[in-house]
Amino acid sequence: MECYSEQTVAIFVDGELAVEEARRLRDHLATCRRCRQLLDALRAENRLLSESLQELTEGAASPEGFSRLPGSLEWGHLAVVAAVLAMGSFVVPWIEKLSIPDALQWLNPFSVSGRADLIFNLSDYVAHGGTTMLSDYVAVVGGLFLLLLLGGAALLLGRRWQPPQAGLRLLVGLLALSLPGFALEHRHSHFVTVAANETVDDTLVAAGNTIRVEGVITGDLVAVGDTVEVRGTVKGDLMSFAKRTVVNGTVEGNIYTASQSFDLDGQLGHNIYAAARSLRVGDGGHVGGGVVVAAGDASLQGEVTRSATMAVGNADVSGSIGRELTMAGDALTLTNTARIGGNLSVTVHQMSKVHIADGAKIAGARDIHVEVRKSRFARPKFYFHQAIWFAGAMLVGWLGLVLFPGFFQASTEAVGSGWRSLGLGIAVLAGAPVVMIVIAITLVGFPLSLMLLAMYLAAIYLAKIWVGAFLGRVLLKPATATKADWLLGLLVGLLIITIVRFIPYLGGLVHFGVVCLGLGAFAWQLYRASRPAITT
Amino acid sequence: MDAKRNNAKGPQPHEGKATMEGRDLEGVIERARGHDAEALGEIYRRYARRVFGLCRYMLDSRESAEDATSEVFLKLQRLIESYDGSIPFPKWLLHVTGNQCIDALRRRKRGQQVIVEVEDGAAVIEAASPEPSPLGAVMSAEERAQVRDAIARLPENYRVPLVMRYYGELSYDEIAQQLGLQKNYVAALLFRARQELRRKLAHRSK
Repeated sequence: MECYSEQTVAIFVDGELAVEEARRLRDHLATCRRCRQLLDALRAENRLLSESLQELTEGAASPEGFSRLPGSLEWGHLAVVAAVLAMGSFVVPWIEKLSIPDALQWLNPFSVSGRADLIFNLSDYVAHGGTTMLSDYVAVVGGLFLLLLLGGAALLLGRRWQPPQAGLRLLVGLLALSLPGFALEHRHSHFVTVAANETVDDTLVAAGNTIRVEGVITGDLVAVGDTVEVRGTVKGDLMSFAKRTVVNGTVEGNIYTASQSFDLDGQLGHNIYAAARSLRVGDGGHVGGGVVVAAGDASLQGEVTRSATMAVGNADVSGSIGRELTMAGDALTLTNTARIGGNLSVTVHQMSKVHIADGAKIAGARDIHVEVRKSRFARPKFYFHQAIWFAGAMLVGWLGLVLFPGFFQASTEAVGSGWRSLGLGIAVLAGAPVVMIVIAITLVGFPLSLMLLAMYLAAIYLAKIWVGAFLGRVLLKPATATKADWLLGLLVGLLIITIVRFIPYLGGLVHFGVVCLGLGAFAWQLYRASRPAITT
Repeated sequence: MDAKRNNAKGPQPHEGKATMEGRDLEGVIERARGHDAEALGEIYRRYARRVFGLCRYMLDSRESAEDATSEVFLKLQRLIESYDGSIPFPKWLLHVTGNQCIDALRRRKRGQQVIVEVEDGAAVIEAASPEPSPLGAVMSAEERAQVRDAIARLPENYRVPLVMRYYGELSYDEIAQQLGLQKNYVAALLFRARQELRRKLAHRSK
C-alpha cells in the first residue's frame, strides 16, 4: 500500500483524523517503517512546539519578540496619516474656514487630546525604565514626528551621528545613581502585587508593568506603571503615574494622578487631582472631598462631596456634586440624575454644546458663559503680542551677535548641515526631558534638573534665531558679513518664520522643524566648543 | 513572584497563603460562580500568566495582549456562570481567551474575518519531505527560545491557529469554529505553519 502524506500523519498525531481513516493508518503503520519514523518525528515536533510555547519567559513576552516586526506596516500607517495631515492642512482651512472638523480632531497631534495621548504614551515609555528607555523614547518621538516631517532622516542620522561616549557614560552613571535614590519601600518588577492578606506598614513606591494592591498600605502609594489597580486599601495618598489607574478599593487620603485613563469605583477620603485623557468616577465611586481635573473626557457618575473643578473637553455629570461645579471646555452634559449642591458655572465656546436635562437639580445659580472663539487674527492684542515676540527675538539675536559673534555665526552656519542638525535636534528635544527626569528622581539632582530645564527652554527659544539668521542669509546672500548684514538677515528670516507659523497644521510642523534644526545646530556647536576642553 | 512577596516588609502572609493554595480548583470555581471576589482573584493568580501567554502569542503587541488579558478576567465574572464543568477549567478558560483574542484581531480588521480562506487552500500537500524534521532534534532552552521566536515571526494566518492548537490546546473543530474556517483548512494551515517554521529554523541554524 502507498504511504500516507505527511499532512495526514500530522493530523493523525494531533488526534484529529476521522475514526475510519485513523484505523487504516494505524494498520499501515504496523507494516511501514518509513511512516512510523515520520510519526515519531512529528510527535517529537508536537512535543517541542508545546514545550517551547509553554515556557513563556520574560524574553518571549517582551516586546522585542513581537512588536518590532511589522515595522514597515507602522511606517505605512504613519505615511498615510502624514498624507492625510498634509492634505488636510491645505484643503481644510479653505473648506471649513480655518476650523478643523471634529471628526478629524483625533488625527491632529496638536489638539488637546492628541497631545494628551502623546504625552501619556511617551511617559509610559519613560516609566518602563532601564537603558532601553531612551532609545524607545527617541524612537517613538522620532518615529512620529520625523515621518510627518521628512521620512528618511533616520537613516541619514544613523550614518552620520554617533553618540558621544562621555554622554553615554554620564547617562549610565545617572541611571545607576537613581536606583538607591528611594529610601522608602521600593518594589520594581514586571508585576507588583500587594496581596489581599498583606499589609505594608510604610509608604510604598512601586514601579512595574502592572501594580495591583489588594491588601493594605498604611502609608502612601507612589505607583509608576502601565496599569495601577487599587482593590484593597491605601490609608495615605495615592500618587499614580500610569497609562491606566483604577481604584476599586479605598484610598483614604488624596489621589494625585497623571494617567491616560483614570477610573474610580471605590471610596476616596479626600480629593482627586488628576490630569488624564479620560477620567471616570463610576456609579459606585465616592469622593469625600472635591475633584480638580484636566482631562479630555470626564464622567462623574458617582458622588462628589465637595466641589468639582474641571478643564475638560467633554464633561458628563450624572452623579451628585455636593457643592459647585465649575467647568471650562467644549461640551457639558448634565443628565436627569445629576445633582449639584452649589452654583454651576460653565465656560464653553458654543451654547449648543451644553445639555442640561430637565430633571437635573442645581441648587445654586447657573452661570453659563459662552466664549466666542474669535479668529485670533481679528484681535489687535494678537498683533501686539507678535510684535513683542518679534522684537524680543531680534533683541536676543542682536545680543548674541554682539556678545558671542563667533558662536552665533558658527551656530547659524551649522543649521546649513540640514540632516545632522535636524536629527540631532530631534534627539535633544526628545532626550533632554528623559535626562531631566532621570536626574530629578535621584532627588539630589533636582536643582540640577531645573537648571537643565531652563537651559532646554532657552535653547528651544534660541533655535528660531539661528534658523532665522540662516534663512535670511540664504535669501539675501550678502556679499559682506558685517553685523548689519547679519541683523538684516535675521530680520528677514524671523519675519518669514513668524508668518509661516500661523498656517494651520503646516505652520506647526514647520515650527517644529525650525526648533529641531536650531536646537541641533546649537547642540552641535556646544559639543564642538566643548570638545577641545575634553581632549586636552 | 512569591519569593518577592515574602521578601517584602510587613507581616508575612504565611497562614493565609497556605490555605489558599490548599483549596482545590473546583471549590474556587464554585465560589467564583457566586461572585466571590477572593475566588476570582485566586483564579487570576493561577491562570493570568497562561492567559496572557496565549494573548501574547496571538496578538502582535504587548499592550493589546495585556488589554485582552484584562478583558478576559473582567468577562470571567459573568462567563464563569456558564462554565458547566464538562471540559477542564484551564481548557475552557483558554477557549474564552482564544475568542477574546480573535475578537480583538477582528476589531482591528474592522469586523472582517481574521483569516480568509483562499482557493485550494485546503488541498492536501502530497509527498512531503521524508527526512526527519529539523524540529525533532533541538531541545535546549536556548533552542526552544529560538522556536518561540520563530513562531512569533510567523505570519498571522499561521501563527494564530498554531498557537491555538499547541498552546491553547484547542481541537481543530474549535479552532475552525472560532476563526470561521473549514476544519480542512485549519489542518492545512497548521501543516503549512509547521513547514514555514522548519524553514525559518533551518535557515537560522545555517
